[in-house]
Amino acid sequence: MNNEDHDIESALRRLRPRPPGPAVVSAIGRALDAPTSPAASPSARGIILRWSAGLSAAAACLLGFFFFARPTVTATLEYQLVRAEQPPATVDVFAPVRLADGSFARPVRVRWSNETQWEDRRTNTRLINYSPSEQFGLIPMETY
Amino acid sequence: MNDAHPEQDWRAWFAEHGARLRLIARQWTRSDADADDVLQEAFVRFWKHQRHLPGNPNALVVTSIRRAALDLHRRTDRRALREQVVSADAAAVANFAPEADPRLQALASSLPSLSAEQREVVVLKVWGDLTFEQIGAQLEISPNTAASRWRYAMEALRRLVTARTYE
Repeated sequence: MNNEDHDIESALRRLRPRPPGPAVVSAIGRALDAPTSPAASPSARGIILRWSAGLSAAAACLLGFFFFARPTVTATLEYQLVRAEQPPATVDVFAPVRLADGSFARPVRVRWSNETQWEDRRTNTRLINYSPSEQFGLIPMETY
Repeated sequence: MNDAHPEQDWRAWFAEHGARLRLIARQWTRSDADADDVLQEAFVRFWKHQRHLPGNPNALVVTSIRRAALDLHRRTDRRALREQVVSADAAAVANFAPEADPRLQALASSLPSLSAEQREVVVLKVWGDLTFEQIGAQLEISPNTAASRWRYAMEALRRLVTARTYE
């Protein structure tokens, strides 16, 4: 673009186009004042879309719960006891101790465990319930 | 969707740019009344659906004007080819306020003498504030073609203004 083109362009920019008539201006003013329908507003559309997505996700979760959670509950009911075991307890006897009232006692610790096994033959799964226990006690001693 | 122009006073924006937008609308319509209708429809359409979009709204409004003008042509005339959209009305750009400067007045009265295609590019560049690339996108021509039309238009205007000034 040479200088002469630039001069013409500058001169063109100085020309002042006639403004739109007052009827157009007032019609546009009315349109801008009119409340926009929710469907026409992109932000409202966004809210609707987000709600729809949220509700769809919730519905999917509910369906998933009904379809997948129920069989799990049913499967739990299929477990049957196949084994119950209580191994012999171990007893530890400690040296005698003197109690606050002057008498003597021998501390004893007893340890044992209970184990049960549950099996679901349909799914070939096994549940093992192991519960160890421990108890302390004092055996009074008579002294002469 | 977030509003990219939450503080924009669109009534004020239109008051500032309405005149040049109407001149653009006039390029693609056959009468002043049609230009007003197209401008109104295009701006309201932009305001309803596109004012939230980021960037300079000018190009979007110009695009909206062109679409509204095409819609009007399709409604009123089945010949919806682009060539028919370009107004053949020689008075299409005689829409300027009177100028005291004789050179400016000569320029204003020379614009209708340009070919419709050249005039279209001139109006979009000067009053549409579009680049050659944007003009090309609007008119579905290459940016080089738009620039070429611009150069021919400048050359023609220079000749016409010189002739009219010394008449």
